[in-house]
Amino acid sequence: MADTPNTVSLTIDGHEVTVPKGTTLLEAAKTIGEDVPHYCYHPGLSAPAMCRLCLVEVEGAPKPMPSCVTTAADGQVVHTQSDLALSRRRGVLEFYLVNHPLDCPICDQSGECKLQDYVHQEGRDHGRSREPKRVFGRDDFGGDVLFYGDRCVMCTRCVRFMTEMEQDSRLTVVERGNRSVIDTFFEEGLEGTNWSGNIVDICPVGALVSKDFLHKARAWDLEHTPSICPSCSQGCNISLHTRDNLVQRLKPRENMEVNGWWMCDHGRANYEWMNHGQRLEAPLVRTEDAVRAMGWKEAVGALLDRAETTSGSVKAVVSPFASNEDLAAVRSLVDALGGGSMVYRMARADAEVPMDGFPILARRRDLAPNGRGAEIMGASRVGDDDGVGGLDDVAGHDGVVIVLGDPLVDQDASFGQSASLFAYLGMHGSPATGAADFSLPITNFAEQEGTFTNHEGRVQRFWPGLRGPGAAQPAWFVLGAFQAARSGDPAPRSAADAFAALAASEPALAGMTYDDLGARGAVLNETVSVPGG
Amino acid sequence: MSDAPFKNPGWAGNTGEFDLTEDEVRGDDFVGSRPSGGGHPSVSATYPYMLAEKNPDTPLFEGAYKERFEKILTRYPTKQAALLPALALAQEIRGYVSPQSMDRVAELLELSSAYVRGVTTFYTMYNKAPVGRHLVQVCTNISCNLCGAEDVLAAFLRYTDTELGEMSEDGNFTVIEAECLAACGFPTCVQINSRYYENVTPAEVPKIIERLKAGAAGGDV
Amino acid sequence: MAYPYVSDREVRVLSKNFGDPSARRLDTYVERGGYSALKKAFELGPDGVVDVVKASGLRGRGGAGFPTGVKWSFMPKDSNKPHYLLCNADESEPGTFKDRELIRWDPHQLIEGVLIGAYAIRAEHAYIYCRGEFFETTQVLARALEEAYEKGYVGKDIQGSGVDIDITVHLGAGAYICGEETGLMNSLEGQRGQPRIKPPFPAAVGAFGMPSTINNVETLAAIPHIVAHGGEWYRQWGTEKSPGTKLFCVSGHVNKPGNYELPLGFPLMDLIEDVCGGMRDGKALKAVIPGGSSVPILNAAECAACSLDYEGVVEAGSMLGCASVIVMDENTDIVKQVRRMVQFYAHESCGQCTPCREGTAWMTKILQRIEDGRGTEDDLQTLLDMGVQMTGTTICVLSDSAAAPVESSILKFKDEYLALIRRGERVGAA
Repeated sequence: MADTPNTVSLTIDGHEVTVPKGTTLLEAAKTIGEDVPHYCYHPGLSAPAMCRLCLVEVEGAPKPMPSCVTTAADGQVVHTQSDLALSRRRGVLEFYLVNHPLDCPICDQSGECKLQDYVHQEGRDHGRSREPKRVFGRDDFGGDVLFYGDRCVMCTRCVRFMTEMEQDSRLTVVERGNRSVIDTFFEEGLEGTNWSGNIVDICPVGALVSKDFLHKARAWDLEHTPSICPSCSQGCNISLHTRDNLVQRLKPRENMEVNGWWMCDHGRANYEWMNHGQRLEAPLVRTEDAVRAMGWKEAVGALLDRAETTSGSVKAVVSPFASNEDLAAVRSLVDALGGGSMVYRMARADAEVPMDGFPILARRRDLAPNGRGAEIMGASRVGDDDGVGGLDDVAGHDGVVIVLGDPLVDQDASFGQSASLFAYLGMHGSPATGAADFSLPITNFAEQEGTFTNHEGRVQRFWPGLRGPGAAQPAWFVLGAFQAARSGDPAPRSAADAFAALAASEPALAGMTYDDLGARGAVLNETVSVPGG
Repeated sequence: MSDAPFKNPGWAGNTGEFDLTEDEVRGDDFVGSRPSGGGHPSVSATYPYMLAEKNPDTPLFEGAYKERFEKILTRYPTKQAALLPALALAQEIRGYVSPQSMDRVAELLELSSAYVRGVTTFYTMYNKAPVGRHLVQVCTNISCNLCGAEDVLAAFLRYTDTELGEMSEDGNFTVIEAECLAACGFPTCVQINSRYYENVTPAEVPKIIERLKAGAAGGDV
Repeated sequence: MAYPYVSDREVRVLSKNFGDPSARRLDTYVERGGYSALKKAFELGPDGVVDVVKASGLRGRGGAGFPTGVKWSFMPKDSNKPHYLLCNADESEPGTFKDRELIRWDPHQLIEGVLIGAYAIRAEHAYIYCRGEFFETTQVLARALEEAYEKGYVGKDIQGSGVDIDITVHLGAGAYICGEETGLMNSLEGQRGQPRIKPPFPAAVGAFGMPSTINNVETLAAIPHIVAHGGEWYRQWGTEKSPGTKLFCVSGHVNKPGNYELPLGFPLMDLIEDVCGGMRDGKALKAVIPGGSSVPILNAAECAACSLDYEGVVEAGSMLGCASVIVMDENTDIVKQVRRMVQFYAHESCGQCTPCREGTAWMTKILQRIEDGRGTEDDLQTLLDMGVQMTGTTICVLSDSAAAPVESSILKFKDEYLALIRRGERVGAA
């Protein structure tokens, strides 16, 4: 019996299950850890119940029911593993293999393929088809998408994604019956769409693959690290898929409050920079006669010495790609050195690129992940919408100049020449960093743990998927060591420590901890008026 | 055509139990000629869309066709519902549904071109490529098959000198195999353009072809 | 009259004007009492009409045999949404050719039936979905409908009754599956004609998302007669559970193929031997498919005791379907004919559901291989297994329909399959 009018109780595989009214049997089965095989069903799309793979036995029903559209009812007795259910699903799986090319050795999906998984899980030992297979061949859909028609299981997730989510019906099923094939309008392709990379993700088999990822890595060789997309201020939850200390691809990670299951093509494609070589690998310190590479201890010591003898106000340039922890460390430094200004520069697109079928999701205008975080730390945006300019009064400043993460590509070698102290904490050197007294190698977001604050004020964690180059360290770690040496207070030993210190000092983040943020993030305290909010 | 000089002019009914002319069986005398603008809106979507006269370069939906298209739109609560009739119109005019026609129909009905392609290819009666002046569709499904439909099909291929699905060199014929045409009591049933030819036997095929070549009746209603 | 042959054992209700070209004209139809049932329906009111049809016991003639009055009563009575009546004239079940005759010989009978049906379910618009190949047939219907509009039998304020009902004739474009009611709705809406998942049922969410009812041509053609004469009158024919008359479409190896209107419960062998003039060329009967290609095959022994009503045919081992009786003589190559039927289903599968999309095509390939003399005995077991996997596992029953002739023919004509597989012997081969 129902506990409340809004729930129903039923029995699935012998387990009593209580779920909200309207829950499908497939979702209800998940609550007991039973993942009923399915292709066409995707929780973010309409359910056509056409793959027929999710058939389960419902006592009293005249035939096996598709669990993706059958809603749970009070007192229902459902068997997902009965002879009838298994036999019907085995039959469906055999049908899938009649025309499938079984080209797993050369298929990118191999290892993360639902056809492989399900056949292994509950399919027949061997297929009985002796007939010649149907051949469709390969079709370049444009954008990053390549279509292998022979591998397709006709689940139409891709067609429904384009129609329901992107709301640009570029894909369709052409022909009917066994001749059915997914296609675009002849040569029209997917060119000019903004979200079509998602169809590669939701394709349960290797029919839709990424051209960028084609034959690049085997799925089982990839490490998955939860992260946040750094390409705009939406803060899409993603995974970094890495191998050999290189990011191989980005994949969206479900978060219903931010990006659902999706991410945009712009963000998906923008990862090569994370693998960029030519990094600063050791602290470089300008001494009287030369620039010398040093160990961290020596470099921090030298910085301490310089800081003691340096005067003048501080002007800091920070990056909206830096984590909250790193930004907070710079702010502390600025304060410790007597105070001054903080600015950041950020590219801004002309318009948002919304996803019509999931209205909270858009490629935002701000093309960096943490402009909001920089604002909260007291930085103001300068420069133009290309993310350059605006540093005239910093370039010639005669006090302390601190630069975090901004590679100053638009500046020339005169930058910081007049500064009493010019410390550059960055990934790459450039002509404009040549005058730096200290060039300190720091890690990028993919190489460290930290948090970003997205456009709506959601603080979200990311984890390190890559090892930083050489001696590079997170900026919070470097500056934390500096501050500790200066004040005698203990240095933060982890990103969590750094965040805890931040939460303690910044009202907007008060009360947040890494544990609470988890993998889903939390929104800033609403009662606090947030700059840039 | 009731006085056609051979036994079976392509229609059934002369079994000896009825005294009917071909016009009477087909209803031609009753129907008369349909106005090109579509007549009453309720039936404006019922025109035959396989005619012998085809011109792939004719503009779509102009003049009388525009009138018909607009009448069709008034009969459905959504624009999309006019898709099948609109594609039929395009085929009536041009003989087949080209990618350009699909694109134009999509534009008029505010649908995506890919969607229209998906719908067009679902239905067998939309020709996706040009066909001969006479599209000969021989039913070979069970009832006709039991009564020799495959021989009728072979005869059509032989006398038109074509391969299945290919257009004859003179552009007169395309012969294809059809699924059940719902005239199972009159085997073999052959649809030529818009007309049904019933009780067709292989022996009659050459005569039917001659008659079509001579431009008579064609397949047009 | 039947058409194109006549039998004195017929009961001509729906088919009385077959072969009479004058009956197409509105004035003739009215002279003979046409459109009087419509007037009576308006007097009865929608619920009164439903009651009469319920009393008649009329069952849907499209194949499923669901009671028509009950189906109509599922329609909401107090919704403010538009309702639609859809007349299914997408006749494409192999062996079936009755709707074409009903439309082309007696279009006003259908129009009157559609009007009464629409009135009963409170619809102001009815669509007659004709299969696209029916150009000629549809021209007759179109002309008749224009006449009916001209004379005020259709449209606004029908015959001064205050009732508004529009009828639109819609042409399909070549897809068997659009004869399935939800496939038809999708097709009418300008989509690929793929069947929809039920629930929701059409009476709740049908064409254009509105409450809808779909009835076959023959069902609606019977309505004027039932409304004019009453439910009991209709029950004078047929059986308790299968009342009334039915058009039987007889094709294949008989001397006089054609449509015959007979009371339900008529003996199958009488139909073949007497009404249809017996087997062609005096051959022996081998098999009959009694309800269109989607139902199991009956062998000669099963035919002997088969009475043609919904229950009688089930008892004999098949289904009445749409009463399309395909007769096969002793020279029939069963394997080939089954292959041809399955090939049809493979061609017509909409391609949504995997068991149907892949199963129908795979079955065709296996049967073709057997037919070509390259079959194995294991193939028969594979086919039977596929039949199980294709039955009850899909959105609509096209898949089940493809499996039915395969399974039944392997069970009933196994020797013929084995002769071909083991010895390359084909029945009927010259």
